[in-house]
Amino acid sequence: MTSSEKILEVNDLVIRFGGLTAIDGVNMHINKGEFVGLIGPNGAGKTTFFNSITGNVTPSEGSISFNGESLLKKSPDVISHMGISRTFQNIRIFPKMTVLENVSLPMHSKPSYNFFSAMLGLPSVKKADKIIQEKAMDFLHRLGIAEYKDYEAGTLPYGLQRRLEIARALAADLSLLLLDEPAAGMNNDECNELVELLQGIHEDFDISIMLIEHHIDVVLNLCSRIYVLNLGQLLAEGPPHEIQSNPDVIRAYLGERREGR
Amino acid sequence: MYIASVIVTVCANIISVIGLALLTGYTGMFSLGHAGFMAIGAYGAVLLNRYYAVPYFLALISGGVMAAFVSVIIGYPTLRNKLRGDYFAICMLGFGTVVRLILNNLNNPVINGALGLPGIPKLTSLWSALFIMAILVYFMWNFVNSQYGKNCVAVQQQEVAAEMMGVSLVKTKLLSLVISAFYCGVAGGVLGFWLQYIAPASFSDTRSNDFLATLVTGGTNSITGPFLAAILLTTMLEYLRFLVNWRLVVYGLLYILVMRFRPEGIMGYKEFSLKKTILFFKEFPQNMGKLKGKWVGFWESRNRN
Ligand SMILES: Nc1ncnc2c1ncn2[C@@H]1O[C@H](COP(=O)(O)OP(=O)(O)OP(=O)(O)O)[C@@H](O)[C@H]1O
Ligand SMILES: [Mg+2]
Repeated sequence: MTSSEKILEVNDLVIRFGGLTAIDGVNMHINKGEFVGLIGPNGAGKTTFFNSITGNVTPSEGSISFNGESLLKKSPDVISHMGISRTFQNIRIFPKMTVLENVSLPMHSKPSYNFFSAMLGLPSVKKADKIIQEKAMDFLHRLGIAEYKDYEAGTLPYGLQRRLEIARALAADLSLLLLDEPAAGMNNDECNELVELLQGIHEDFDISIMLIEHHIDVVLNLCSRIYVLNLGQLLAEGPPHEIQSNPDVIRAYLGERREGR
Repeated sequence: MYIASVIVTVCANIISVIGLALLTGYTGMFSLGHAGFMAIGAYGAVLLNRYYAVPYFLALISGGVMAAFVSVIIGYPTLRNKLRGDYFAICMLGFGTVVRLILNNLNNPVINGALGLPGIPKLTSLWSALFIMAILVYFMWNFVNSQYGKNCVAVQQQEVAAEMMGVSLVKTKLLSLVISAFYCGVAGGVLGFWLQYIAPASFSDTRSNDFLATLVTGGTNSITGPFLAAILLTTMLEYLRFLVNWRLVVYGLLYILVMRFRPEGIMGYKEFSLKKTILFFKEFPQNMGKLKGKWVGFWESRNRN
């Protein structure tokens, strides 16, 4: 199912925060249907890389294109409607909304009716809302959190909040999913469960996925290609078995800090 | 007729506070200048009626539309430049003051400067005020429970995620502002045609503060909360007139108590429901027991610390 058609292409990306160069001349691409990993020590710039794709951070130099269209100068909501969705390293659910409302949101971020109809409470409005709720339930079932649909999202335990974030990301009409440390704080059993879940999602939804993860087993199990980032620069790229035995990668993981400046 | 006067004032305040509920309670943006929109609506409606014989209801709507239009002119540049929340509040404070000062200093026969507009026909009746209030509350209820309303709450709760899930921040915030301005504009008209006299001083910053305070007391993410708070606080303010300036102290104390014990407001994230209330009283003994347990727990935890 992986074709060599590039869905995302990043060229010579540089991102500076004042004096700090968080991303320093990175080239990357994701093929259609591919499951790509992005690893690297803390502070390597992985999250910043995601933020630049989704429009949360403005690149200083370089280009990012999605299906041939440049993403530079586009705001996150526009990029979302182009088909890129994500989860966040530090969970960002809507805590006081219910689980069902959380997952419904991406489907009505551009409401399907005008605001006059909304104020009048027309039957067509109720109908449109109901259709979205039903679709949202499908995502909740898929992620195994349907029984919590009426819970306030903020009251869910941490692990379920992570699942909720994935469900919400999938509910956006997407073709590229960016996952930022979905296994953070999970034990081995939970990690295995997550691997299975993500594998299923990758196949069923027919999407491309890029995964940032510190649990190296999760990445090795899921990804067909892995990028290694260190101190903002690309250290290595290749299939799992090559990355595992790459001496540079091993050294980077054993230490070496970002020099101040 | 005194009672009628209180009720019309309550209606006007409900309309304004419900409008502000969308902007502040749902979308999470604070404004300290919505009396300015009320002034625009009041002057607009009264002058249209006076010089162009525009009938009552149409004049009210036109006043609201004028307020809404001005809110776009103020709001769009502010929101597009992603001014942070507190800057927006200050911006609106400035706006409210500017409107009042402009009216104060337009000493032409139409606006009549600080002296205001006397001799307005009494077109608002007790029933028209109640009717308009009921309709507008119903519309707002539908709106906040629609896809638009959910988008507003998402922006308030987690702006970054809302935007990443496709919600346009500028559009959502601007729409909230425009609708809230419209509501305040209409409220201004309703009040003007009742009091038969309006002046710039009727739309002071104190009024904006009162709206915000009522809203916060009533509760964020709620329509019934601010609705009840507007009734309660407005009538209280009327009946506490004998206390003169001391009533502001009573007011202040009330806010402190609410903020201390229920920072999300009396009805924060909840709606009043008759069914639940009846149920509460049916199971009164058990519920009192629970409540007592809570209080005991509260005091014990305090004494421990
Ligand atoms: N908005 C920002 N402003 C200033 N500096 C930032 C900003 N975002 C990230 N940085 C800095 O950029 C560097 C890269 O951070 P980033 O969060 O991308 O690392 P990461 O690879 O995701 O690390 P981790 O594995 O800990 O999540 C860090 O030094 C961080 O402090
Ligand atoms: Mg990170």
